[in-house]
Amino acid sequence: MTYPEQLMELIEDFQSIEDRMERLEYVFDLASEVNELPVEAWTDSTRIHGCQSEAHVRVDIDNNNVRLYAGADSKLVQGLMGILTIAIDHQPIEIARTLTPDFAMTMGILNSLSPSRSNGFRNMFDKVMSEISEEE
Amino acid sequence: MHMAIQDDFPILQRQVNGHRLIYLDNAATTQKPSTVINAMNDYYTKHNANVHRAVHTLAGEATDGYEACRTSLKSWFNAERCILTSGTTEAINLAAHAWGHPQLKGRAIVLTEMEHHSDIVPWQMLAETFGNELRYVPVKQDLTLDMEAFEASIEGAGLVCVVHTSNVLGVRNPIEEIIEIAHKHGAKVLLDAAQGAPHCQINMTELGADMMALSAHKMCGPTGIGCLLVNEDTFQEMKPFMGGGDMIETVTLEGSTYQTNEHRFEAGTPRIAEAIGWNAALDYLATLNLEEQHLRLLNIARHVADALREMGMTVYGRHDDEDSSVVSFLHPTLHSEDFAHLLDARGVAVRTGHHCAQPLLNRLGISGTVRASFYIYNTMQDADEFLGHVGDILERFA
Repeated sequence: MTYPEQLMELIEDFQSIEDRMERLEYVFDLASEVNELPVEAWTDSTRIHGCQSEAHVRVDIDNNNVRLYAGADSKLVQGLMGILTIAIDHQPIEIARTLTPDFAMTMGILNSLSPSRSNGFRNMFDKVMSEISEEE
Repeated sequence: MHMAIQDDFPILQRQVNGHRLIYLDNAATTQKPSTVINAMNDYYTKHNANVHRAVHTLAGEATDGYEACRTSLKSWFNAERCILTSGTTEAINLAAHAWGHPQLKGRAIVLTEMEHHSDIVPWQMLAETFGNELRYVPVKQDLTLDMEAFEASIEGAGLVCVVHTSNVLGVRNPIEEIIEIAHKHGAKVLLDAAQGAPHCQINMTELGADMMALSAHKMCGPTGIGCLLVNEDTFQEMKPFMGGGDMIETVTLEGSTYQTNEHRFEAGTPRIAEAIGWNAALDYLATLNLEEQHLRLLNIARHVADALREMGMTVYGRHDDEDSSVVSFLHPTLHSEDFAHLLDARGVAVRTGHHCAQPLLNRLGISGTVRASFYIYNTMQDADEFLGHVGDILERFA
């Protein structure tokens, strides 16, 4: 699959890091990439279910482009949100919709996470995609 | 001496993520010594057969191995009856169905906020059927049970369910006092000893508990097996719960009669290899001085708790003399799950989350902790390396 350029760069970055600790550190750094959804805006409808931490997302559509807002009490989870932000924020709906969670496998990031966190990432991805569909 | 114990556990030789494994998730499950692994392998290699009825040699050997576990458990805990189950959870569910159904109709059940979910949910399910009133003893600020509230809640209760030692806090409850008060008011007592049994020698008869549930895997035995220890009076009040093979005396199309011993509660082919493994674990633990180990591990836990506090963590535990070597903690900003991931990247296995004790965590006003729990093969070197990793993580990520 062909990914948007900025996502491709991220995939290559992750693939070049072998040390597990460094990978996690990189995910932590990406927490700052999210368009922050402030805690006051966290509601049951923004909540990502099946996640072991408090994690929330909201999708807006601006001129046919996806805008992703996210926040979590875990920096690691927010880092995963940062990855998804790089992947789809500002992308046209039709491009964003072609993305599958496989990119995270290609990146190798899911291997660095516990099964519960990997499931959490998939739940986050599914919620974002379903919100994009609803917004269409 | 400590190195000798570590050498008995093959898994401790492995590396995790390029680091020496430091296994500190013992309150969830302990590692197994070679003697346990070998005993189970030996059973499947040389003795595998079903138990109790067949007359051939292998069946006799399998039966001897299975029943030897029961005999050892009765002796280890000085218990009158021992029903083998799949673990603590099944043991408590068995108590609820086999004893609770016939005996607790219309009577209140006293529980505590410190219970594991496995000692709450079965009683909630019973209450849904029979309308029992469930009374919960609160946990105080000092992390002990509110004994005044307990005394106030006991009137009219038929059963008190209490955890011997908390899996989150390591707090050992005043079981002796609880049993005395409960019995004075005509209530029986079920002890959840899943965490207590691995750390100290519990004499059930001397203690006066009516039922006691525990698991093998938290005391160097295999997963998939545990037991409900029962005193004779309570045993005689229990009605068969699961029907099937092995638990019957006769079956006709009109009806069945049941075994009169523990088999009456062990329908179907039991966990034979697991029983043999558990017996080997008890033999292994018998070679150690558990009291000495308890003091050594408690010292390690106190050392770790003090150091974590100095690093700015909140530690949920008091580590009194009879408490277990569990250290639950939280950092003010670094999420417990993140902490566990970062420790795992350095070969340290700890637990995070609610530890199947959500009511207790609600009482503490938190949703989870990081929990480091120590067992017989852990050393002060493990503790110091763990603390070193914690310090590095805080420096880089907090």
